[in-house]
Amino acid sequence: MVDPNLLIGLSMLTTGLVLGAIFALTAAGVTIVYGCIWLPNAASGQFFLLAPLVAWSLSTAMGWSPILAVAAVLIAGLPFAYLLERLLIRRFYDVPDRNIAYFVVTLGITQILSGVFSITWGQWSDQYNIPPLAEGVVFIGPFPLPANRLIALVGALALLGALFVGLRYHRFGRALRAVFQNREAAALRGVDVQRIYLGAFLLGTSVIFAGGLLYAMAYSFDLSVAWSMGITAFAIMIVGGPGSVLGALVVGMLFGFVQAAVSVFASPTAATLSYLLAMLVILLLRPSGLFAR
Amino acid sequence: MNRMRASKDMWLWISGAALVIGLALATAGNRFAAFIIGIVFLNVLWTAGMNLLYGYTGLVSMMTAGVAGIGAYGTVKLFLDYGWSFWFAVPVSAVGAAAVGVILGLPALRLRGFYFVLSSLVIQVALTLVFIYFPQFTNGDTGITQIPRPGLWLPGFGAVDLTGPGFEIILGLLALAGVAVVYMIIRSRMGAFIIAIREDDLLAEELGIDVTRYKVMVFFISSLLMAVGGAFYAVYTGFISPRSFDVLMSMNIWLMVAFGGRGTIAGPIIGSAILVPIPFLLQELYQIKDIFYGSLIILVTVAMPAGVYGTILKWWRVRRQKQNTAVAPVAIKRMPAE
Amino acid sequence: MGVFGVELRRRHEACRGGDRCGGGVLGRPLRFLVIDNQTNPTQALAAARSFDAQDKVLVISGPTSSDNALAIYGYAEQNQVPFLVPVAAFPQLTKPGTQWTFRLEPAAVGWGYSIAKFVEQKKPGAKIAIMYSDFALMRAIAAGLKYQIPRSNLTAGPEIVFPQGSSDATIQATQVRAASPDYVVVIGAGAFDNTITNQLLDLGVKPDQIIHPFGFTTNILGWGARSVGSYFGTFFDHDLDGVTAEGKKFIKDFAEKNGRPPSYIENFCYTTPYVIKQAIEQAGTVDRAKFRDALRALQTKETTSGVPIAFDKNGARQEYIYYMQITSMDVAKKEYSAKQVFYMEWSPEVIPVYDLVK
Repeated sequence: MVDPNLLIGLSMLTTGLVLGAIFALTAAGVTIVYGCIWLPNAASGQFFLLAPLVAWSLSTAMGWSPILAVAAVLIAGLPFAYLLERLLIRRFYDVPDRNIAYFVVTLGITQILSGVFSITWGQWSDQYNIPPLAEGVVFIGPFPLPANRLIALVGALALLGALFVGLRYHRFGRALRAVFQNREAAALRGVDVQRIYLGAFLLGTSVIFAGGLLYAMAYSFDLSVAWSMGITAFAIMIVGGPGSVLGALVVGMLFGFVQAAVSVFASPTAATLSYLLAMLVILLLRPSGLFAR
Repeated sequence: MNRMRASKDMWLWISGAALVIGLALATAGNRFAAFIIGIVFLNVLWTAGMNLLYGYTGLVSMMTAGVAGIGAYGTVKLFLDYGWSFWFAVPVSAVGAAAVGVILGLPALRLRGFYFVLSSLVIQVALTLVFIYFPQFTNGDTGITQIPRPGLWLPGFGAVDLTGPGFEIILGLLALAGVAVVYMIIRSRMGAFIIAIREDDLLAEELGIDVTRYKVMVFFISSLLMAVGGAFYAVYTGFISPRSFDVLMSMNIWLMVAFGGRGTIAGPIIGSAILVPIPFLLQELYQIKDIFYGSLIILVTVAMPAGVYGTILKWWRVRRQKQNTAVAPVAIKRMPAE
Repeated sequence: MGVFGVELRRRHEACRGGDRCGGGVLGRPLRFLVIDNQTNPTQALAAARSFDAQDKVLVISGPTSSDNALAIYGYAEQNQVPFLVPVAAFPQLTKPGTQWTFRLEPAAVGWGYSIAKFVEQKKPGAKIAIMYSDFALMRAIAAGLKYQIPRSNLTAGPEIVFPQGSSDATIQATQVRAASPDYVVVIGAGAFDNTITNQLLDLGVKPDQIIHPFGFTTNILGWGARSVGSYFGTFFDHDLDGVTAEGKKFIKDFAEKNGRPPSYIENFCYTTPYVIKQAIEQAGTVDRAKFRDALRALQTKETTSGVPIAFDKNGARQEYIYYMQITSMDVAKKEYSAKQVFYMEWSPEVIPVYDLVK
């Protein structure tokens, strides 16, 4: 018999990593959009859900292989985000206090999408499983980790790494960060701010889609995921500092481990309330977040 | 001049009272229609509070439903468990709820713009969780059912039956009183101050207005209106649960104000009168309700930032301005005073 | 927070499909309340009021499982309208003093009680772990089970509560596994139910150690083919031993139309119009009070399975439950088979239902 404490420790480690990486990735998507365009996307939870729902339809009803379905969703996400930016987001670039206007508009999008979900996917099923990419379990020491969840974890960490490196060293990433820090100065230096806005929206939205797809590879999901994930991603962004990808990464991991560990040490309900409390305290004491420059 | 306005105002309130009593009596024969009217009245009260906060002071609060919920749960607790008279329980719990609202909202009131919106949203979510997870006060997510309507004894009338149109009349008069409170505040010195805060709070601060103090006062008064509305909602519908006071309700109240026309007295009333009945009348189309509401939110923000009444007012002014230009070009100079 | 939000709508469709009363009884139409978990209580109340005041219906019936059921319950009791609830397991719907409400589905506290009875018979003294989501329905099931465990001389194992919105149960599953219970009762909400189930299986818990208090077609398929061997409670299943000829026809028609077998939810909806019709025929009139009295006196059987239908003084159904063991599953074809392993009937107040859940 294996020492149960070792098993619990390993389970905490893997769960914290999987949840933390997905949280961090999703929050990074939200924070890129907010930091650059000042667009607090209240519909990020719905976006997070939309991607795996489409992938679910492709892979179960249409019989596509899950890999193909995931890739197709990520590609199809680009024109979706592009249209949204052209038709709606773009209109507010010059509005004063546009973050409030955006918040309201995206709340509207949230309502529309949840209405759409409930008359489409909601009618078809009440829980969704994307067929696994790989069957079986991988043993980490004595601890069995399903191969599929391991793939999701590796995917999330790879994407996070790519995002981090890309923002730091790629030309577009540097221009994006310049706009984060000071849009007037960036514009004076010849950066086409509107193009960067478009790029940030496409990138951030795709990252949120990717987060949703990875989540769906690791877990069963249902329509309630949108709400809980939207709140979590927002909380991470606020605590980490809107616009800070590093903040999203650190705080996202932290939240993942807290959610993983809390039922071992405290009541799970306390955990839910403690998220909100952390968010509130940060908002009140340091509205720009822990990792703001 | 003042006297003329005062007498004009008085006639306006009297005809308003006549209108709500008339509406309540006209629908007395059809209890479904009466219920819709009653809920519209409650929303007029709530939107009056939201209008003071958002329309006149520029604070977008997403925790209004939570405050209404505290008022409702507090009243029901005192009324049912402690056997208080409903009419005594309402003011006590409303003041309590408004105080709790201010205490929770006070730190957030220092924050500007979007950070205030976010903080209030977080507080709203936390309040919903409190309603769910403290069942000893709230009966948890199943809610409290069979809340009886209170009796009322009026001097000169004796015991008044509140099961029929009596209660809708009370709700109507309450809504009217709420609107009147907002109207009087706007006409007072405080009104000028809070509008200055809405327009530019830094400038207002420089002019010597105690911005935080006025924000807190406005927040307290609007919370009071919310909580009273919540308490009456509880006994009127006979049922409350955490979902009666969730973030969607905060959003809906905000939407009614923005849709009708923020910062106008009539706007929120128009907003409530149009938006509240829609889901009740379109019950068969319940599936597209969310899509409809979402589209409306976007439409208002993009196309009608001033709301229905605000757009009408603007159109009316432009028209009048054109006429004046044709007759007497001098008149234009007075326009910026608006 | 819609656990059953989706299912409710399907229930509603099933109810419409199940309206076999040919456009009404004694010249009065039968209408069903169309609401779901996304409907807020104000709208549910308005809908009830509209039926009562506008359409002057004889009885309100609606597939409701959320707090809306309680809201309409309050309305029905205050305004003296008969309210027949097909699918809603809150015990509060029939709390002592209830006059106008009747519940077709057994109360959730009783489901928990029956799990202990089932295990007591299967393996005396067994150790039971409970994992449940923090929703009213799940709490009620857990309350009944926890009450009965010591009385059935069973051993209580770990009890784990998940907050609403949880996504991972690996650690909790590891904890449960470490306590090596004989059975794990899994009461998750929505998709999280699948996650808990699969993570328990990942960690080496055997399928036949897992008991689900309730299983309807979509969530049984959601557990996946690995769950063959697991147990679930139900009130109707296409593989029951006692399905009648009419029941077989119902199953066949439903499967042809929907591509999957019906479960207890659809069966309750199928049964509801039948119960209403019988009560009206016995009352011989469409007077609300007489109809209510006829429902109280009703002694009949479900036409699909032969299970008795009778209500106690509070409108609670004479309770019953089946436990089934999954014997095969094909998720892609939306098919599973199961065998009946346990059946019991009991009177609602054998356990202090109304004290366990307030």
